[in-house]
Order: sequence, then structure tokens, then C-alpha cells
Amino acid sequence: MKPYLTAIAFVVGVATSIFGAEASRSAEYDYDAPEPGTYTLPIIKPAADGNVLDSTGTPLLLRDLTHGRVTVMSFIYTRCASAVACPYATGVLRQLHESSAEDPALAKGLRLVSMSFDPSTDTPRRMAEYAALADRQPSAAPWKFITTRSQADLQPILEAFGQTVDKRKNPSNPLGPLNHVLRVYLIDRDGNIRNIYSSGTLDPRLVLADVRTLLLEAGVSKQITRK
Amino acid sequence: MRHCIREKLVAGACIVSMGIGLATLISNARADETCSSPYLARIEGQEEFVYVWTLGVEGLGDGSDKLVVVDVKPGSPHYGEVIHSVSVSGRNEAHHGGFTDDRRQLWLSGLESSKILIFDVHTDPAHPKHIKTIDNFEKASGGAIGPHGVYALPGRVLIPCLSNAKDKTGRTAIVEYSNEGKYIATHWLPTKAEPRGVEGAEFADGYGYDARVLPRKNVLLTTSFTGWKNYMRDFSSLAGDAEAMKQMGSTMVIWNFHTRTPKKVFQVPGVPLEVRWAWDPEHNYAFTATALGSKLWLCYEDKKGNWQAESVAQIGDPAGVLPADISLSADDKTLFVDCFGDGKCRVFDVSDPHHPRQTYEKKVGRQLNMVSQSWDGKRLYFTSSLLEHWDKSGADNEQFLRAYAWNGKSLEPKFDLDFTALKLGRPHHMLFGSTNIGN
Repeated sequence: MKPYLTAIAFVVGVATSIFGAEASRSAEYDYDAPEPGTYTLPIIKPAADGNVLDSTGTPLLLRDLTHGRVTVMSFIYTRCASAVACPYATGVLRQLHESSAEDPALAKGLRLVSMSFDPSTDTPRRMAEYAALADRQPSAAPWKFITTRSQADLQPILEAFGQTVDKRKNPSNPLGPLNHVLRVYLIDRDGNIRNIYSSGTLDPRLVLADVRTLLLEAGVSKQITRK
Repeated sequence: MRHCIREKLVAGACIVSMGIGLATLISNARADETCSSPYLARIEGQEEFVYVWTLGVEGLGDGSDKLVVVDVKPGSPHYGEVIHSVSVSGRNEAHHGGFTDDRRQLWLSGLESSKILIFDVHTDPAHPKHIKTIDNFEKASGGAIGPHGVYALPGRVLIPCLSNAKDKTGRTAIVEYSNEGKYIATHWLPTKAEPRGVEGAEFADGYGYDARVLPRKNVLLTTSFTGWKNYMRDFSSLAGDAEAMKQMGSTMVIWNFHTRTPKKVFQVPGVPLEVRWAWDPEHNYAFTATALGSKLWLCYEDKKGNWQAESVAQIGDPAGVLPADISLSADDKTLFVDCFGDGKCRVFDVSDPHHPRQTYEKKVGRQLNMVSQSWDGKRLYFTSSLLEHWDKSGADNEQFLRAYAWNGKSLEPKFDLDFTALKLGRPHHMLFGSTNIGN
């Protein structure tokens, strides 16, 4: 395994152990998660479409990854070293992935997407190395690692989602060369964004409760365990 | 290969950081103002600009509301000067505002018109550009009017309102918009008639003012002011109308933030206004001050995990000094309390939040409203205007932005801008800007 993959696996693994999706309250998230289906999540806006590449380099329309299942989509870049940003978001998605492996209804109704906003570095080949981590759980919900062919393909997607990214004034900043707000999106089966998470709200338990709320709302499963 | 090794090392650092916790990392940011949304991208280093949402005055300059930009960059040749202002053509009862979470937009609200004016503060932070106006707020929200603050949430803003279009009392709602300016949802405050299952429903007046979140506890706290027909009325006339004075906010409400569900109503007589959550990751409390009650109140989680509210200190003369804005230091030890009535800033030691103790006071002007404090606690900025119809008259109607240095014991003047002499208007809410924004 490449050194950076070793690193990200380590980070994700630690995130997993600290912030379990089914875990109880923690110092950072010191409250009980809400009961799925007891609240509503209003539509914020439609999820944007655009041209993307999957981790094999195959062209796709993004809408094909934001419809038909409840989708949790995270914008990341693999050079990010900010503890409260991309590695943390990937750790949360990893938690959801693992939870879905133990919950057939979740595995059937959920999709995870990690999309890079750094196409010059995050090539399909590099994303494939991340995807390999997800492939270890074949019974879990699908987890796609995608990128774009170019900045020209990427920019309209970022603007429509509202994901801001800037180059840092110091490209050698130890946190990584790009400055960005952490954004993870919850998208319903019809392609509408229903929640947006960032530092302070990206609690795996909340995301899982929201996913289950949308699955209950859609009536796709009556087997979902109310946890 | 070199950067792969670097990433591995940084990843190790990440793990350590994760153990420290998100809240701690946020609270350790060493810049920006103290009383802003925790979801907001932070200024790196010292603030460079103070944006001042300024209410126009008929016959003064062009008479319109303005976004005024004051240069506060250390070493700048224009330090302490107005370097830019954008007139919005008309008066809206300019009051409060706030940034989107990415800090690219500044949203400024009008209490009279219910318009929200959106500025781009990213492209050129020294010269904000008006890019959009939300002018159908009442219709979109289902009848809420008087949009007050604008509170950044991930990808959206929370807008607590003051009134409603039907009877223009203080019965109101919290409204959500996306960062793109699209309406999302309206959450009406609980009332006795529509309690929504809330504890303390017998106190519920349905009024609103401020709305702020403590993410770590998943709670939202709201306070209460009064409705359009009161805040748009001359204050001396209003004060003499006993029936109208009964229509003043006397509650705080704690909500489940994630589900936007009100959980408990607290009886807090005398118009509780600004909410200031403590920053320390183990401090589960917020302060507010009652404008008509002249008291500091504490909302806190008790040892059993239940939220409570109690009056913890008198502010000034019991006859009333009209506390308006408050600002809590980043270390949760010092609370600055602006008093409109006597123009004084009173400083409290709140190290023991249940027993605040006044340690200092300074007369800043003949009337005094807002205060914004830098994260390091060394700089405070004050403005004068409360509301067009509530400001003092004659010589007492000073309109200023005054900057002070705080040395831990006293406030020392740094610069003074006379907004009347500059033909700008009545300065109200201040927000910090910079060309250096982190994440």
C-alpha cells in the first residue's frame, strides 16, 4: 500500500474508532441522536449534475450517483491534512459504510460518494486506491470515489453545490494546498439536497438518523431498525 | 515520495488533533470576533475591516441605508477611516446581519421593509458589492416579517425574525434560506395556543429576537423582543402606552437544533436580547441581558442534563439602564455589557457564571448599542444606534463608531468616527472582515 494510503487508512481507522456511527454520545457530540422518522428534513436545493469520472476512468453523469438511493456525498481532496476536514469526512463515510454492511436495508437504500475537487492530483487511478478500501466490504452500500477530467468540468459542480475551494497563499501549508469549507451533503432518492453537514454537525449518528429518516419517508424499507 | 511521507506525518498529527476534539479546535482559533456563529469560516490573524450596517437618515447625505467599510488593518495608512460605503437606495430600518458560513456573502436585513440585502465580500473584501436582494421574505416565509440576525449554518442561514404580517405583534418565526438565497423553511416560535409539546408552554409568547446554536449539545437558544408595531413606534410614545408595553418579549426557548423542535420555554421578564454561548468545551451555558429588566441571565445545563435559566446579576441602576448588546470574551471570563440608557459599557467578571461581578465601567457616549470584540480581547468596537424611533434626540443623538483597546483593566480610545458629520447615518451592527479567511 502506498504511504499516503497507509496514512489515510490509519486516519480513517482512528476516526472509526472515535466516532462510531452507532456509538453513544461523545465530548464533541454530547447529546442523544434523534429518532429516525420523528422529524422532517426540508428540501434545500436540487443536487447538481455534471460530467465526472469513476475510479476506473469511465465517464459518468453525476446525476446517476445522486438518484435512486439516499446518497451521502462528500467533497474531498486526498492531499488534505486538516483533521477537521477531508480525513474526518472520509472517516464518517467509512462509518456509514460499515454500518450498512450490518444492515441490509441500509445497504440496499444508501449510496456513498466521495468526490475530489483536486482533479490534477486526484486522478481516477488515485481514487481507485481509495475505492479499494471500500471494496473490502462487498455487502455494504456502494461507495464511489469519483473525480473529474478537468477544472472546467469540476467548477460548475462546485458552484452549484456551494462548495468553495481556494488555493492557499502558502501552497506548502501543512494542512494542504487548498482552503475549503468542509461540506457533506445528504441527497434524497429524487436528487434533492436535504441536509448539509460541516464541522460541528458531521456527527455520524445524526447522518445515520437522517439517512434512515429519508428511507422511512420514501417507504423503501420497513425493516429499518429505529436506533 | 517526499509529500507522501509528509502526508503520513501530518496524518499522525491529525489523529492527535482528533483526540483533542472539534470544539476545542474551533475554540482555539486565535482570530475573528468572539460572538459569531461557530460554523463560520474564521479570519486568520487580525481583522482588517469593520463592516457597519448603517441606517439612513432623511436629509443626511443621500438618506439611504449603507454598508460602511472601516479600515482597521494595523499599519494601514487609512487605519480608523471609512474607506468605502455602498448605499442601498432607501431606508429599511437597517439593523443586524451576518455572513454565510464560507464568509463569501454578507446578508444585511431591514426590520421595516423585511428586505435582505446580500453583498459579495469575497471578491474584494475592502469593497463589498451588492449582488442580490430578497424582497419577498414575507410571502416566502408564510407571514414572518422583521428579519433580524443572519446566523451561518452549513450551506444555509438561520434568520430569527421579530414580527408577523398578520397583526405585527412579536409573534414570529425563525426562517431558513440557502446560501444561494432560496427559501427553505419556517419554524414558528411556540405559543400557549400552539405549544408544539414544549415544556413551560404556560409562558410561551411566541416572540423572537436572537437565535444561536451550541453544536456540542445540539441546542438552539432563542430570545424575545417585540413586534413591528412597537419597534417602529416612537419610544417615548410607546413607553406611555401601558397596553403596548405589555407586548414585550418575556421568554427564552431552548430547541433541539437538529430537529428544529422547541423543547422548553423559560420565563425571562424584561426583553432578553443577545445570546452569547460560552466557548470552552466544558462550559454548557449562555448569557443574555434583559433590556427592560436590566439583568444578566444565565441559561445553563444542570447536573442532571436539564436546561435551566436564572437571573444572575443586576446591571447598573435597578431603575434601568437599558442593556442592549453584550460580548463575551473568548476565554469566557469577561462580559462587556453596553447600556443604551446611560451610554456606559459595564464589564463583568463572569469566571463564575452564576455569580457575575461588575469590575469596571466606562461612558462611551450619550447613547450606546452594539459592541464587537476581537478574539484576543484586545480591541472593542462600539456603535450608537438602537432603532430609528428609539434613538435619543437633540444633542444626545450621537451617532458614532468608537474603537477602544482593552488592557484587562480599562478601555482606552483608539479612534472615533462621527457618522453624522460623515453624512452616513445611524451605525448599528458591526462585523469583521479580512482578506485572510481560513476554514
